[in-house]
Amino acid sequence: MTCRSSASFATSALKVPAWCLLFLASFSVACNRGGDGARGGKPRIALVLKTLNSPFFNDMQRGAQEAADKLGVDLVVQAADREIDVERQMQIVENLIQSGVQALCLTPSGSKEVVPAVVKANRANIPVIIVDTRLDPAAAGQAGAKVVSFIGSDNYEGGRIAAQAVVAATNARANVGVLEGIPGHETGDSRLRGFREGIAASRGVRVVASQPANWERDQGFNVFQNMLQAHPDIDTVFACNDMMALGAVEAIRAAGRTGSIRVVGFDAVEDARKAIQDGTMVASVAQFPDEMGRVAVEHAVRAVRGEPVPADAKVRIELVTKQGSR
Amino acid sequence: MSRWIRGAGRRFGTVAALVALCVLLWILTPYFLTVPNLLNVMEQTSINAIVAVGMTYVIISGGIDLSVGSVLALSGVVLAEALKAQWAVPLAIAAALAAGAATGLVNGVGIALGRLPPFIMTLGMMSVARGAALLVTDGRPVSTFESGFRALAVGRVLGIPAPIVLTLAIYAVAHVVLTRTRFGRYVYGIGGNEEATRLSGVPVRFHKTMVYGVSGLTSGVAAILLTARLNTAQPIAGINYELDAIAATVIGGTSLSGGEGSLGGTIIGALTMGVLRNGLNLLGVSSFLQQLVIGAVIIAAVLIDLMLKERRA
Repeated sequence: MTCRSSASFATSALKVPAWCLLFLASFSVACNRGGDGARGGKPRIALVLKTLNSPFFNDMQRGAQEAADKLGVDLVVQAADREIDVERQMQIVENLIQSGVQALCLTPSGSKEVVPAVVKANRANIPVIIVDTRLDPAAAGQAGAKVVSFIGSDNYEGGRIAAQAVVAATNARANVGVLEGIPGHETGDSRLRGFREGIAASRGVRVVASQPANWERDQGFNVFQNMLQAHPDIDTVFACNDMMALGAVEAIRAAGRTGSIRVVGFDAVEDARKAIQDGTMVASVAQFPDEMGRVAVEHAVRAVRGEPVPADAKVRIELVTKQGSR
Repeated sequence: MSRWIRGAGRRFGTVAALVALCVLLWILTPYFLTVPNLLNVMEQTSINAIVAVGMTYVIISGGIDLSVGSVLALSGVVLAEALKAQWAVPLAIAAALAAGAATGLVNGVGIALGRLPPFIMTLGMMSVARGAALLVTDGRPVSTFESGFRALAVGRVLGIPAPIVLTLAIYAVAHVVLTRTRFGRYVYGIGGNEEATRLSGVPVRFHKTMVYGVSGLTSGVAAILLTARLNTAQPIAGINYELDAIAATVIGGTSLSGGEGSLGGTIIGALTMGVLRNGLNLLGVSSFLQQLVIGAVIIAAVLIDLMLKERRA
């Protein structure tokens, strides 16, 4: 009796794979982008993003895809579920190395943490192009990680431009609340450094509070709401990205102080541009992620062909205000 | 005898699902069934698999531990600060394990003596341990250690990556403890019927506390591997790891209502998730679709497990 029933669960257990099989097969047919690797000698290039839940990286992906279509490249785009999940990003890189990509474009989720992943790509002789966030030079040097090319904005310069916008908008008298990114991220740290040095010459501009809100909109809301409780005299916000700036805009609205607190952000994503037109934000520093994606793919193709690749490519930045860009 | 056959039938279901998944991937992509890729998958699975050892103990005992990811971050940070302060590697590792185990024991004391529901106690600890990790490091990652330490992640034993060897060793020890010792039997007893176990003279509170200590300890071991792997300890590491560990445990056939389950099932569960993620990357499936597929597979696996159980009953 027992044996018979155990045999019957065995057969019904075999229905598990049938389910999974159908399930996976239907998806892989729909989305397989050259998993077989044999597609008429097209170079297969990977772009690993921090996340896909952000307009910044969506734009980067679009730029990269356009370049890939033009150059006849088979582009594989992958990202972790969450921006901060470095371990998952490392797994993706390892898996893509196994799938035989010929070049890797990577936006590091952590400047130090992805260094071992870059070393693995180096060992597999896959050229690595770093986009947006630099590797930590000390960690990369110690591990011997080699990067063919870096493509990104000058975040330090961007921070200075934001500082100038604050000084200009406030006649050099302001109590500033700063929303920082995740501590220890090179991108946010550079923006913050640029901003602090940019306001150093204007004695009337003071940073009264500075707290991390981890790049996220809801955290920008909460952190700024708390900041405003502790420092009701804040009249200006500098947020190291627009997501946090937009969170602060909502917190200001909730406090009924729209119009009396100026908000300067970074990235000039679409919602921020709208907020600038509506007057809820003063300015944002524009980056051009689509251009980063395009240049990354172009450099990757040159690296695959063995052509010389520029080691450093700075993508332009601009200040966006209601009057336009400059 | 009949119990053994039932167990085998049950195990066969999970193994068959994993094998079928592998066969499917082998058909779909030439990169899957290669030795380097299979080692790669096992290496990637090791961290979740180790966290899931403690989770399996806790779930068999009828509890839940939501704090494992935060405890992992705290242990990693303790390890990194100790290494930075020039402690000897074994001493730093011991400190990290002690931090993990101690945090777990605090959970256990709150649950066993304070009579807090495990969900609440470990939810609170999830925040406490995360806060402590952020406080110690000022929110910044701590990095770059000597090569002797990194050998734990990059070293090989007889050609097999060290993390895989470590994982198998931990499963072997944990399996023996769970199936061959008095403590192991009490874990099943407490999960199956706590009152009956207490009435038969078992010091339930003590053993319950120890179960959460085991979970903290395995999170500490996983922290050592993760830190060696990334050459960095991050105070924000391990977010949502509790969900992966719970998923591995339940895919492996451990019942969330306690009293039954096995580590053999859990390692198959962890591998199923690892293989699925690896395969979806190799196939170049969109990242959004990957989340959908993984979630659906977890639901399907547990649903089928429940159907098998009903048939048996």
